Amino acid sequence: MNTIADKDYAAEAAVCQRHVDSLVATHTGIRGAVIATTDGFEIAAHVDSSVSVAKLAAMVSSLSALSEAVSRESKIGSSRDLMIDAESGRLLLVDASTGARKRVLAVLCDNRETLGQALWAVRSCREAILRELEGH
Amino acid sequence: MKEYKLIFTGRMGAGKTTAIAAISEIPPVQTDVTNNDRPAHAKATTTVALDYGEVTLPHGDKLRLYGTPGQSRFDFMWKILSEGALGVIVLIDNSAPDPLADMREYLDAFRDIVSSSRAIVGVGRCDTHPVPGIDSFCEAAKEMALSVPVMSVDVRRREDVLLMLEVLFHQIEAAEADEALS
Ligand SMILES: Nc1nc2c(ncn2[C@@H]2O[C@H](COP(=O)(O)OP(=O)(O)OP(=O)(O)O)[C@@H](O)[C@H]2O)c(=O)[nH]1
Ligand SMILES: [Mg+2]
Repeated sequence: MNTIADKDYAAEAAVCQRHVDSLVATHTGIRGAVIATTDGFEIAAHVDSSVSVAKLAAMVSSLSALSEAVSRESKIGSSRDLMIDAESGRLLLVDASTGARKRVLAVLCDNRETLGQALWAVRSCREAILRELEGH
Repeated sequence: MKEYKLIFTGRMGAGKTTAIAAISEIPPVQTDVTNNDRPAHAKATTTVALDYGEVTLPHGDKLRLYGTPGQSRFDFMWKILSEGALGVIVLIDNSAPDPLADMREYLDAFRDIVSSSRAIVGVGRCDTHPVPGIDSFCEAAKEMALSVPVMSVDVRRREDVLLMLEVLFHQIEAAEADEALS
């Protein structure tokens, strides 16, 4: 099972779920979003049924770790955002960690959303999540 | 000068990252992150993409060493990393609940490489957990119709890991000689 269970987790997952739902609801070009732990467990997700959340969460964690390793290797410091520009859309990965709790927010956009709009939306969503979780 | 790609695989905590770090001549590339699945393993970190290290053999050939993540939720990385691999090292943690089942799982996942006799099984923590013994692993591999050498290994010891690679290379040479004959 690709989920983790502890006491704080339910509250954290609820906060993340609310923000992910609202991100997808307010942007027609955003098809879905997943928040995962950096070791590949789903925390919250809003994607259509054609996408496997468990698999996406694991892949997102691998990508984000690789991106960190490559940045380190290239001496450009810690990695921040990662973008995959594909034929009919984009996948944006941003860090959404608070303290020792490491998370990645992954957002799937189609071509209706420009890169600028998507980045702005994703970063705002991240900030909103962090504000709320840090307040806990 | 030739270059060979080898894969280290096995369950979470078997020692893939440790083994590559023990023998790599370059600072290994690691993708370990905080481990949230403490019930599965008490380790602080776990590999989520790959490990990478390099070893130069005495005659100048180079080994590129890739470590996989252990958990099956990362099996897409197993496939990516197996591309073009010459051989596979399956590491076993003999203190795990069912080490024989672990061996079967990873031999099966890497069957394409394993079935052409390019594999070795290294069993760890045999000093504190002698059961199942090496014979049982050999027997279990035979039941899968696979010929794979099995040896005990302490992944923290450089000499142990290098010895395992040497045995793997003999195994691969023998397999290539057989293929040339047939
Ligand atoms: N005491 C003891 N510790 C061992 C022995 N063999 C390996 N270890 C330890 O077991 C741990 C193995 O951890 P890793 O190398 O991260 O294992 P891994 O296979 O890369 O794990 P994942 O990346 O999470 O799949 C290390 O802390 C080793 O020092 C042994 O024989 N005795
Ligand atoms: Mg590892």
